Amino acid sequence: MIKVRIPTPLRPLTKGQGEVEAKGSSIEEIITNLDQTHPGLRGRLCDEKGELRRFVNIYVNEEDIRFLKGKETALKDGDEVSIVPAIAGGR
Amino acid sequence: MKPRLYDFQTLRLLDKMTPSLKIPRQILEDLVAHARELDPFECCGLLAGADGTVTRQYRITNQVAKDPQAVTVFNEANVKQLGHLPETARAEVAYFMDPKEMLAAFKDMREQRLELTVIYHSHTHSPAYPSMTDVGLAYYPDAAYLIVSLENMSQPDIRTYWIKDRQVSPAEFQVI
Repeated sequence: MIKVRIPTPLRPLTKGQGEVEAKGSSIEEIITNLDQTHPGLRGRLCDEKGELRRFVNIYVNEEDIRFLKGKETALKDGDEVSIVPAIAGGR
Repeated sequence: MKPRLYDFQTLRLLDKMTPSLKIPRQILEDLVAHARELDPFECCGLLAGADGTVTRQYRITNQVAKDPQAVTVFNEANVKQLGHLPETARAEVAYFMDPKEMLAAFKDMREQRLELTVIYHSHTHSPAYPSMTDVGLAYYPDAAYLIVSLENMSQPDIRTYWIKDRQVSPAEFQVI
């Protein structure tokens, strides 16, 4: 099982839990599994084409998946996945 | 059995409606110092605490000029277009928190049992009011958004807001 850290904006979908467990051997599989247990999560993470939304950062342990293999990044038991929406703005 | 004195859900609801944000003076002073240090560029960071009382500050690097993801985030949200600006000018009008530093800050909050309470940034040449860009990119409805304005350099203005579903409302805060 993979531990997934859920940011506060997505916790309404996980009944307030900041940490959930998911099954899968890649980020793609984890997203599919999470969407089954917490319907609606995929839509918040991916766009209509299935690509990760630009303001969503996903980390495996301390590594940004943008610098690994994106959604195809492989996972092994004990890995921790963190979802961190970007924080940005301007005048 | 004791009679039930409070309806827990109603209390929670009331609490959400009248949030009491408390920020230590020392942290507010450091927010202004942070803004002045980076002027003319925007500063940004996070404040964490418990039950609305801030106890910890995390200065986060504004990576808007350096992280190529920033331009795409702004484009996707259909807000301020950054791509046409020279990289150095981007940080004068926008901020994009370094994701890696955010990850470290959130880890520290978990370890200290704190929660994200305030998201702050500075406006170096405009009032302390959320811009369309700020509103379009506000993905954290549970955190208050604090803006330090240096429009009047000798008298910095600090204001806080809730931004939920693109609706902005003032958030009162108490200095402690």
